[in-house]
Order: sequence, then C-alpha cells, then structure tokens
Amino acid sequence: MLAPKKTKFRRAHKGRIHGLSRSATSLNFGSFGLKATEPGRVTARQIESARRAITRHMKRLGRIWIRIFPDVPVSVKPAEVRMGGGKGSPEFWVARVKPGRIMFEIDGVPVDLAKRAFELASAKLPVTTRFIARFSEEN
Amino acid sequence: MSEVKSLKVETRSGTGTGAARAVRRSGKVPGVVYGNNLDNDLIALDPGELRRNLQKTGFFATLFDLKIGSKTVRVLPKDVQLHPVSDLPLHADFMRISKDSKIHVNVPVQFTNEPLSPGLKRGGVLNVVRHQIELICSPENIPNVIVVDLSGLEIGDSVHISKINLPANVVPAIADRDFTIATIAAPTAMKGDEEKEQAAAQATAGDAAAPAADAAAPAKPTPEKK
Repeated sequence: MLAPKKTKFRRAHKGRIHGLSRSATSLNFGSFGLKATEPGRVTARQIESARRAITRHMKRLGRIWIRIFPDVPVSVKPAEVRMGGGKGSPEFWVARVKPGRIMFEIDGVPVDLAKRAFELASAKLPVTTRFIARFSEEN
Repeated sequence: MSEVKSLKVETRSGTGTGAARAVRRSGKVPGVVYGNNLDNDLIALDPGELRRNLQKTGFFATLFDLKIGSKTVRVLPKDVQLHPVSDLPLHADFMRISKDSKIHVNVPVQFTNEPLSPGLKRGGVLNVVRHQIELICSPENIPNVIVVDLSGLEIGDSVHISKINLPANVVPAIADRDFTIATIAAPTAMKGDEEKEQAAAQATAGDAAAPAADAAAPAKPTPEKK
C-alpha cells in the first residue's frame, strides 16, 4: 500500500476539503482517466483495492498511473477510552481528493475495457467518479 | 496543410470576470482574439460547436476563419479553459494569423503500424511521452498530424524526434536536444502480477514457518515514541 517514507509531523489535523481541484484535472499520461466529482478522503487501502480491480480486469494489457498519494495520517483513539489524554495514534493514511481530480489513468487498452475497469475501481472508492477519455475522433 | 474551418462567433462587449460570466449565463462561451499588433476582439462562441471541434484530433493545429462583424479573421486556437469537473469550455483564446508569420503550433502525433511492432505484440505498452509536438512553421505549412512508424520496435525501444521526417520548412520548437516522443514499455499489469505472485509465495512460506507472524500487515503510520 502507498504510504510516505517519512513525515515531518506524525499527526495531522482532520481538515476540511473545500473547492475544486486546481491541478491534475486533465489527462497527462494515459488515454483514459477516472475523475472525482465530489470531495472526499481516499484511504491507501481503497487506492490499492481500486488499483487491483483495474489491473485484474485489464489482465496483461495496458499501463496504470495513480495520480493521488495518501500523505495525510488519520489517528484513532482506542475503544472505550474517556475523552482527553491527547490525540489517538495514527492508524492509516488518506489522500484528500477535491472534485475534478484525476485519480487514475490507464493506457494501452480498448475503450470498453477501460470503462469497465474504471467501473470496478469506482466501486472501491468513497467518492463519485466520472470516466474521461482523451479528446479524439475515435472516442 | 490542414484545412481551414469556420466557427460562428458573435461580438460581445465588456471585459473582465463580470462580463464573461454574463456571457456564460446567456448560454455562450466567452473568447478573445488577439495578435498582429491589433486591438483585441471580444467574442462569444456557441458551446456545442466549440466542444465538437475540441473533441477532434488536432484542434490546436487547425486554422479557423472567424466572421467578426463585417470582417473575416483567420485565427489559430491557442488555449481553451475547461471546467475542472464537467470539462465544459469556459473561455477560448484565438490568435490572429498573418501569411508571412512564423507560428508555434502543437501538432498531434499519430502512431501507425502497431501490429508490426514485436514489442507491442509481446504485450508491451506504447508509452506516449508527447501526445503533441510543438513545431515552428508558417500557417500554410501546418501539418495535420506527425506520423510515427512503430514497425520493428521492441520493448525498451524509444522513438525520438530525429527519427521523424518532418515536412519542409517545419522545425521542432525544442531544438537543443533529441527529445523522446514515445517508448515501448513493459505493461504494469504484467510486472504487478509477477510481484504479487512472488509476494504471495513468500507470505505463504512465512505463514507455514511462523503462523503468528503477520506477513501481510498493512503499513501503519509510525507510532509516537513516549
């Protein structure tokens, strides 16, 4: 699973996700992409699960690019613990995703295969998504 | 040379965000025509027609004739701003073209003879480094596409600009190096599968040796030292 190698601080504020994505809103690497249409926190497990779904559906064809990285640690307090006593321990990593962000790109597969692979991947993600293709007459 | 197309435009008045938003509210896309040391022309375009043209390959390498008022202006699209989520056009920039000017134009790359590449046949993936190439040429010499022949390429091979036969009087804008256009890469799916299989084999071996060892433990953030 994706995780930072080292971080400056162990814990992060929860934060809020405002506005639209300012970067990574168009295809940069592949011919097809999966774009987030609502804000959300995507965990490293969800990214890995979606990546696996895409890879398995594409079998031995194509290439994948993951354009989000889970760099925000999320802490959780243990069960049945009274409030106070400091922040909980970091448990998992998330990527903050804004609407318009392209999360995955693929190339080297036909359009119908790409669409189905992204449908399967989208089911693993906590945000609504949209399939996008590079502008061309064929698509 | 690519054919010259026409686009229906209307003139609009007022510059700035407020005027542009008013145009969008009326169902049009605001745009601007600049260049040739003349004053800017403010235009409004039909969103459907603009999108249809935008979806075609080589929109930014196609010359357009815009009828602005009583005059017809030959222009080259320079930029189209899209909405980050819906990808609908928000604004379009066009540059006036004169016959004797040298222009920088992004021409799309078309790949041919894919079945004749042994690397692609073996499951390799065409990794397109540049989907379009910036060229310097006169308006009459804009090529429709740059054709790249993939025959005979193996996994790991790459195509550079020096291998491409450009038309006469057309030069690439990047002249200081022999830049890469595409490579034939091994598919990530193949690599990933092999890694997964190896990892699974190791995990099962580890489990058999020491069942308590959690070989597949997820990478957790480092716990704080107290």
